[in-house]
Amino acid sequence: MSDKQIHEDQKFIEGLLANNTFIIEAIYNKFAPKIINYIKNNNGDEDSAKDIIQEVLITIYNQAKQKNLKLTCPFDAYFYLLCKRKWLNELKKITNKEVTINEEVLSKNDSALELADETAIFEDKQSLFNTMFQQLGTACKDLLKATFKIKSMEEVAKNLGVTYAYARKKKSLCIGKLTKLVQESPKYNQLYN
Amino acid sequence: MNDQDYILFEGYISKTLSLEDIAAFENRLKNDPELKQAFITFKDLNNFLEHKFENDASLNTYKNNIHTISDTYFNKENTTATKTIKFTPWKYAIAASVLVLLGLFVFNNFSNPTYSDFSNYDTISLTVRGKQESTVKVAETAFNSANYAEADKAFKKLLELDGNNAEFQFYRAIANIELDKFEVSDLLLQKLSKGNSAYKNKATWYLALSKLKQKENEECISILKTIPEDTEDYKQAQKLLRKLE
Repeated sequence: MSDKQIHEDQKFIEGLLANNTFIIEAIYNKFAPKIINYIKNNNGDEDSAKDIIQEVLITIYNQAKQKNLKLTCPFDAYFYLLCKRKWLNELKKITNKEVTINEEVLSKNDSALELADETAIFEDKQSLFNTMFQQLGTACKDLLKATFKIKSMEEVAKNLGVTYAYARKKKSLCIGKLTKLVQESPKYNQLYN
Repeated sequence: MNDQDYILFEGYISKTLSLEDIAAFENRLKNDPELKQAFITFKDLNNFLEHKFENDASLNTYKNNIHTISDTYFNKENTTATKTIKFTPWKYAIAASVLVLLGLFVFNNFSNPTYSDFSNYDTISLTVRGKQESTVKVAETAFNSANYAEADKAFKKLLELDGNNAEFQFYRAIANIELDKFEVSDLLLQKLSKGNSAYKNKATWYLALSKLKQKENEECISILKTIPEDTEDYKQAQKLLRKLE
């Protein structure tokens, strides 16, 4: 991916990352109508469109922040694809039926598909990580929360009343435990191959 | 993987290993696919946790902003048969920003800060609804062609019909700063900056700029100090503060 050229629409991603009100408004004005239209024509209404768009914008923000998302296709294609897929998944949940996703009509753009796939994997990983984090013991959860929030391990150790070396060791082992939980999950192979 | 491996992973990520240990670890990574797989997962999780806890605050600000913008957008949608005027293409906005930046850069070191150095709004594009269509267009065209007196009149008319519209209030305020009618602009901006609209932070920033234009530097400084760190104008605000203090 990295050798591909970054699309000029990367400015939208940067704008989202910077929480730039003008750019976010521009995204709504430019791209939302098409999505609302699509959802309305596919058993949805304006409220569902509103939710889907918000969720997708939050996913993009998270991915940009954590994974340094680089846009290799027009924002329009990528955004539309993500909203569309999310809506179809939502429909699947509601109707409990298999919905076929017919993608060739909507995008002749391979990089948009590729990028949307990456985002889907990213989202699935996030949800797996969240579930597994909840399965950790309280001690680990608290320690990890503290270490990542406070940043200075010295301070964390002091707050918890343990030595610096112990706090660091515990941190490694707690993430280690989480790694094990994630790797043992049945979904793991799907997400990491 | 055993405990030692995880301790090693953490040391490698937080860059606390010695050079030899780094070399040895990287060598193992190359030759042991299982270790590599575990390390990739560990690193992903480390990233995930960092984001989950450390960036909590900025994610929340972002979510709130999205909610507000989305509410505004969908309310507009609901009121009508809507139509959005596509106004100025992006390229012009970018060219304009580049010019503003260039201007700032050149002027920065040679002059006292002025309102026009820092004011950075682009051309505007207002969504049109039913009856008000023509007035909205007038406001938009007048504003974008810097005919602020005309724009102010149109915004005033629009606000008589829709007094709570934050977008109209905000741009009317800017038009009035341009016209040096500060009683009007400052009143509107104060109201917006205390409110909860998407224009809340922008309004605070422009209120400070309005004070700057009125040469009320003390006032300007104290407003600048209230601009939160996670807003888009924070950097500019800090820059202006440095120049004023």
